Amino acid sequence: MSKALNEKPNAKLLPASSSAGVILNGRYLPPPEDKDGKIWIRTSALVQADPETLYEMWRDVESAPLWQEQIERVTRTGETTSHWVMRSGGKDSGGDKGKNKDKDRTIEWDSEVLADEPGRRIAWRSIGGESENAGEVIFEPSPSGRGTMVTVLQEFRMGKLASVWETIVGRNPKQAVIEYLRHFKALAETGEIPRTEGQPHGPRGKIAGIKRSMYGEEIPTPPARKAS
Amino acid sequence: MKALCWMGNNKVEVHNVTDPTILNPHDAIIKITRTAICGSDLHLFDGFIPTMEEGDILGHEFMGIVEEVGKEVANLQPGDRVVVPFTIACGNCEFCKKRIWSACDNTNPNAHLMEAAYGYSGSGLFGYSHMMGGYAGGQAQYVRVPFANVGPLKIESDLPDEKVLFLSDIFPTGYMAAENAQIQENDTVAVWGCGPVGQFAIASAFMLGAARVIAIDRFPERLDLARSIGAITVDYSGEDVSVLTALKDLTGGIGPDACIDAVGLEAHSAQLQGIYDKVKTALMLETDRPSVLRQAIQAVRKGGTVSIPGVYGGLLDKVPFGAAFGKGITMKMGQTNMHNYMEPLLQRIEKGQIDPSYIISHRITLEQAPEMYKVWRDKKENVTKIVIDPWAA
Repeated sequence: MSKALNEKPNAKLLPASSSAGVILNGRYLPPPEDKDGKIWIRTSALVQADPETLYEMWRDVESAPLWQEQIERVTRTGETTSHWVMRSGGKDSGGDKGKNKDKDRTIEWDSEVLADEPGRRIAWRSIGGESENAGEVIFEPSPSGRGTMVTVLQEFRMGKLASVWETIVGRNPKQAVIEYLRHFKALAETGEIPRTEGQPHGPRGKIAGIKRSMYGEEIPTPPARKAS
Repeated sequence: MKALCWMGNNKVEVHNVTDPTILNPHDAIIKITRTAICGSDLHLFDGFIPTMEEGDILGHEFMGIVEEVGKEVANLQPGDRVVVPFTIACGNCEFCKKRIWSACDNTNPNAHLMEAAYGYSGSGLFGYSHMMGGYAGGQAQYVRVPFANVGPLKIESDLPDEKVLFLSDIFPTGYMAAENAQIQENDTVAVWGCGPVGQFAIASAFMLGAARVIAIDRFPERLDLARSIGAITVDYSGEDVSVLTALKDLTGGIGPDACIDAVGLEAHSAQLQGIYDKVKTALMLETDRPSVLRQAIQAVRKGGTVSIPGVYGGLLDKVPFGAAFGKGITMKMGQTNMHNYMEPLLQRIEKGQIDPSYIISHRITLEQAPEMYKVWRDKKENVTKIVIDPWAA
C-alpha cells in the first residue's frame, strides 16, 4: 500500500494473489506458456449474476451439454467424479448438406473434482479415458460491484482430443473454451444462447458453402435448455 | 416466403426461401408490412463490409405484425403491430444495463469474428454480415426477431406505417448523432450528407437547441429537403465552393460548434485525396474512404465535437489526428443505442412534431428491389428513400 497517495475512496485491498494466477503481488501475470505438448487457455467473462448462482450452474456437471456444444452427455458417477462423452465425428449440424455419417463417434473420459469451494472455485482433472485435461474456474465479485468475474484456466495435452476437436468445430481447443464460457455467460444472463442455426437463407454458392463452417449457421449452438 | 438476398458484390436477387421459425425462447416471428433500404445497405452492396456470403438475406429497417412468439416473450402477442430496432439487445448484460444497447454482449452468435477485428464484439444486427451476427434480415415477407422481449416497439395508435417505420434505424440514428454532437442552446451545427440519416440529424439538432444548421451535399433534391426543414445548404460540388471556407464564412471565422459526419466510409471527393483513397482501397491498403471525416475534423471549432453516425468498417488513412489534438476536440460515434430513443421519438411523431415520411421518394415491391439498389447506389431518379411493401405484387 502506497503512502504517497492518501485519497483512494473506492480502492479495493490489493490481493496478494488472485484467481487463476492473473495477479501475483500486485503484478499481472500472463497465462502459462504452451510447452511439452501441453496447451493452456485462460479466459474470463463478466457475468450479471451472483457467484453462488454461477457456481451452482457450473457444478451441475450433468447440465454441461446445455452450453458446451460438443459435449453429448455427462453422468455423475460419485460425489466428485463424472463420466464425459464428447461428440467427435464431424459436424452434427442442421445444415442442408445432409447428416454426417460419423456423427455418432465419440470420445469419453472420467473426471474428478479436486477442489470445490462453493460460490468461489471449482478445480478438476481427467482421470483416465481418451482425454487428458485439467482446469479450474473461479467466481469473484467484480470490483464494480456489478456482477461476477468468471475466470477459467484450462490445460490440455495435445493429442487425440485436441486434433479431433480442431477438425470438428473448425476451432482449436483454446477457442472452444472461450466459446463455452461465452455460452455459459449468455445462458446465465438471458436463459438462452444466441443462434442463427436453422434460419432461412438464399442459395449458397460454392465458396459461401465452404465458409459457412466459420459461422453460427453451421456450428451447432448448444440447446441452452433441457428439452423437457 | 420471398426474400431479398445478397448474391455477391453489386448483386442482389429475390429468392423463395423457407419461412423463419422460432429458434429460441425469446424469439418472435414478424410478418413484415413495410421495410426500407438503408444507405448502409449500399456498403454491403458495394462489398465494403467483410463476411457477407451468397444467400444472406438483407434488410435491417422493418416493421410488421407479430405472427408468433416464443415461450419467454410476455410483452407481445400475435397481432401486435411493432417496429423492430436494427440492433439486437439482450437487456441483461453489463452493457444493456448501462443502456449502451448496441454493445450488448449476448446477441452475436459470431462474436469471435468481431472480436478478432475489433477487440470486442458489439450486438448482433439484422442482415448486416456474419461478423455482425449473421441474422437473416427484413427485406423479406417474414423475419425472426431474437430477444423480442427487449427490442420491438409496439405501435398502438393508428399512425400509418410510413410515419413510424424509420424508428427502426434512421430516425434514432440521426437523433443520437445530434445527441452525440453535444449541442448547447444556439449552437451552429454542420451536417455532412443530406441522405436520410443526415435529414434526421438536422431535424434533431434543431430539436436539441441548435440555432443554425449547415447541411452539405451535392444532390439538389437532398439539399432541397434539408432547406425544407430549415437548414442552410452548401453544395460542395459547386465551382469555387470550399466547404472549409463556407463553414468559416457562416460562423464568423470560428467554425461550427459541432460537425456531424452522416456519410461514412464511402465518401466521395473530387479532390486529390478522393483519388488517393480510391487507389488505396482498390489495392486493399485502406478499407474506408474517410474524406468527410477528415474535413469534419478540420472544420470543427476549437474544443468542438465531431459526431459520427456514418458507418466505418476498418482502417482509415491520413486522418488529421494532429488537428484533432491541437484543437482539443471531442469525437463521439458508434452504432445507435436504439432502445433509448424509439419510445421518446414515437411520442414526438404522435404529437405531430415531426413526420419522418417526408424523406420517402420511392415506394416499391420486393421484385423491384434489385433494380432499385442500383438506382439508390447511383443516386438516380432523385431518390432520397426507398420503402418496400414485401407483399405488393
